[in-house]
Amino acid sequence: MSPGQSRRSLALVHLVLAGYTVVALFPVLLVVINSLKTRRAIFTEPLGLPFGAAFDLVGYQTVLAQGDFANYYANSLIVTVVALGLILLLGAAAAHALAEYRFRLNTFFAIYLIIGIMVPIRLGTVAILELMVELSLVNTLLALILVYTAQGLPIAVFIFTEFMRSLSRDIKDSARMDGLSEYRIFLEVVLPLIRPVIATVAVFSMIPIWNDLWFPLILAPGEATKTVTLGVQQFIGQYTVNWNAVLAALTIAILPVLALYALFSRQLIRGITAGAVK
Amino acid sequence: MARLELDGVVKHYGRTEVIRGVDLTVEDGAFCVFVGPSGCGKSTLLRMIAGLEDITDGEALIDGERINERGPADRGLAMVFQTYALYPHKTVYGNMAFALRHAGVAKAVIDRQVRDAAAILGLDGLLERYPRQLSGGQRQRVAIGRAIVRNPRIFLFDEPLSNLDAALRVQMRVEILRLHQRLGTTMIYVTHDQVEAMTLADKIVVLNGGRIEQVGAPMQLYQHPANLFVARFIGSPTMNVLPVTPVGLEGGVARVRTAAGTAVEVPVAEAVTAENTQFGVRPEQLRVLDADVDGDGVFRGVAQVVERLGGETLLHVALGDDAIIVVKAAGGSAHRVGDPVVVAPEDGAGHLFDGTGRCVDRLMPAARA
Repeated sequence: MSPGQSRRSLALVHLVLAGYTVVALFPVLLVVINSLKTRRAIFTEPLGLPFGAAFDLVGYQTVLAQGDFANYYANSLIVTVVALGLILLLGAAAAHALAEYRFRLNTFFAIYLIIGIMVPIRLGTVAILELMVELSLVNTLLALILVYTAQGLPIAVFIFTEFMRSLSRDIKDSARMDGLSEYRIFLEVVLPLIRPVIATVAVFSMIPIWNDLWFPLILAPGEATKTVTLGVQQFIGQYTVNWNAVLAALTIAILPVLALYALFSRQLIRGITAGAVK
Repeated sequence: MARLELDGVVKHYGRTEVIRGVDLTVEDGAFCVFVGPSGCGKSTLLRMIAGLEDITDGEALIDGERINERGPADRGLAMVFQTYALYPHKTVYGNMAFALRHAGVAKAVIDRQVRDAAAILGLDGLLERYPRQLSGGQRQRVAIGRAIVRNPRIFLFDEPLSNLDAALRVQMRVEILRLHQRLGTTMIYVTHDQVEAMTLADKIVVLNGGRIEQVGAPMQLYQHPANLFVARFIGSPTMNVLPVTPVGLEGGVARVRTAAGTAVEVPVAEAVTAENTQFGVRPEQLRVLDADVDGDGVFRGVAQVVERLGGETLLHVALGDDAIIVVKAAGGSAHRVGDPVVVAPEDGAGHLFDGTGRCVDRLMPAARA
């Protein structure tokens, strides 16, 4: 390929990527813009910017005035953070076992977990609900945490295992020679080495949990355990929808995802491209 | 410092036998090299000594004490790996101090030991760097430093120079040798490179297919290989081996004839069996003669490949019967491809191998006289 040609194809690649970025960001931008406008402005000029007469914070005032909303937000955060922590810790530990040790059921467990990726957890909703009723966990955050951990584990284990297989055996053996126990090898040697992948799995696992409406609606619809996605529903009435409040609530709900992404983005990109470019 | 003994050591992976009964003693302060082709079990054997692989059967002893059941850290050993195996998230200092910190050694002691080791290896200025900021040679030096700091009874090296480029390999080889002279600690070193084995070892263990082929000092293996495998493996370029027919045995000298009719005499201490006998002679034991020399004691052929190494020239000579022998000639050799070449073994040089590949005992020069 001549330099001119490669520059042209590079431009094309960027054009396609830029196009995709616009498509992906447009709805988000629309939500944020309209959350700052009056109800009238939302309907008359959905694409207009929130300046002058159109500017209004009534949505945020409504959301924040609802005392419960802080509670919903806390619920969402607790569920997401705890489930995410469990997914990462248990997923990495399971992957370490699958990648590092030879034992009888190794292949069986690996395949069993892949089935977990292929079969959506929602198919088991009825059984899960029955189980939670039996365990008296309905309307508790623990119910959600357990379900989300189960939901996130298969793919996390799968990604971690693939990456851990590529880690050098020598470095783990070296740690064994240094007298580390198998647990400390996992915590002090393996975990620091897979940091980029942890970031990737964290982002991939977090978003579906944060955005989920299904399980909060079924397992924890009580006032005390409502999550943000469920809480927003109160602004969507049978006859009228309080768009200002809905959009404001959604805008606030985007923030943690953005923060997480900003935190992990560098590691995330390294994790996604690891193996692809090396 | 310690003496290592292996007694009938065996390793199975499922049904495959990887190590098939190894008996070996490594003396205190020795530099012992395990050498062999890839897959011969040399690394596995080292990892069994280290405690990274279980010993299926047999016993490993350090200073007479059984170590089979001890964990890798409780055997008093330190290991240097081919891929350096440094912790990428720790500095050079952190890497070297790690094992001691873990063992709960006092900070001041750790600091002194790390700095001593760094001084020995010339790593003084690099202690705050991370492994990714070091060259391959420096990384391997850190790996060696990490081993020194632990003050082990035995050092284990698993192909430590294989990831380095040729020039650095030679330099590090000398450094390891100096280190051994300085510390006097027992070292066990695995390599597939027979040059490393020859230059480093007091004692070479040649392994093949999970078994020891021969144990001995470098020159002993070079001069008196036990069998065809060792004869071919030790020495570079490799030994020339030709099928021959024994034609007579007289006064401790066996007379054999090659297919092309060249007659060779080898002093032997025992009778030579008639079947599948082979004659082996090293490239450096052959002399190039003038092309018009006559007689039945010479090999005649045509130079097929001429490798000029500067100080010497390797001639690949195609003999009449499809066989090729390699001859080490003088650096200024005038031979070109296609030239006729006449070579003869030095007087009494070479080995005879019987049908099983075993080397026929040579008559010692003293006994001959």
